[in-house]
Amino acid sequence: MLLDLSEEHKEHLAFLPKVDGAVVAEFGRIAVEFLRRGSNPKIYEGAARKLSVSSDTVQHGVEGLIYLLTESSKLMISELDFQDSVFVLGFPEELNKLLLQLYLDNRKEIRAILSELAPDLPSYHSLEWRLDVQLASRSLRQQIKPSVTVKLHLSQNGGLSTHVLQADPATLLHLAQQLEQASEEAKTNHCRRVVRSIK
Amino acid sequence: MVGSLNRVMEESGEPQLDAKSKLIDFQWKLGMAVSSDSCRSLKYPYVAVMLKVADHSGQVKNKSFEMTIPQFQNFYRQFKEIAAIIETV
Repeated sequence: MLLDLSEEHKEHLAFLPKVDGAVVAEFGRIAVEFLRRGSNPKIYEGAARKLSVSSDTVQHGVEGLIYLLTESSKLMISELDFQDSVFVLGFPEELNKLLLQLYLDNRKEIRAILSELAPDLPSYHSLEWRLDVQLASRSLRQQIKPSVTVKLHLSQNGGLSTHVLQADPATLLHLAQQLEQASEEAKTNHCRRVVRSIK
Repeated sequence: MVGSLNRVMEESGEPQLDAKSKLIDFQWKLGMAVSSDSCRSLKYPYVAVMLKVADHSGQVKNKSFEMTIPQFQNFYRQFKEIAAIIETV
């Protein structure tokens, strides 16, 4: 699968052959660092001054590199496809080799970062519980009624939510048994076969 | 999980009441926590209150909260005061 680079993207990348290979390698390092930790516009200004170009040019060059790397990593394109996609830019052979190496060296990490962008369902964070005995209510006095109060903490998209639930001990036991059954299911032959075939 | 008395009144002074909300039901229960994930042997009594409130559109909402015994005594004292003042009106 070849990458389809837009005209604007090609223009931004056109800055790369105008600088040293060492500078492109540095841009590559900055690009991956920005993917890890977010961008830092001050870096563009420093580099722009050293190279005597506008900071916009540097920004576009780095962002063009970021996009090239994320699109290639996202699609997991082969070495050959990457080389063919970059070939259309008309860069010198040295630069093409540098870009390919940048892709291959960082592909795994970039894919790990991209996997964190998938939509997130609420997931288990922690659980607090309390065993209570109800002694009286408005409608009935002189009781001894056990119940379990649970505070379930869930996390979603980096935020926490709390849910307070109550159950009688029999229901809780049933819940625990159901959950155990579900985890036992993972050990069955069928599940094992599916997991093996995915690997 | 310690109970906490909800703040119905604003700290600044006069209560901001939603006069169109109606209290439909007031249920309570007295319980004792005997064990929790952080402490296996407790003897902690509490009062739990469950309110049913209907807002101006008629939609019913449940609001529940817990109080420790000292908090509940404070809560009860407020209503005793309200009742006493109503007598003088």
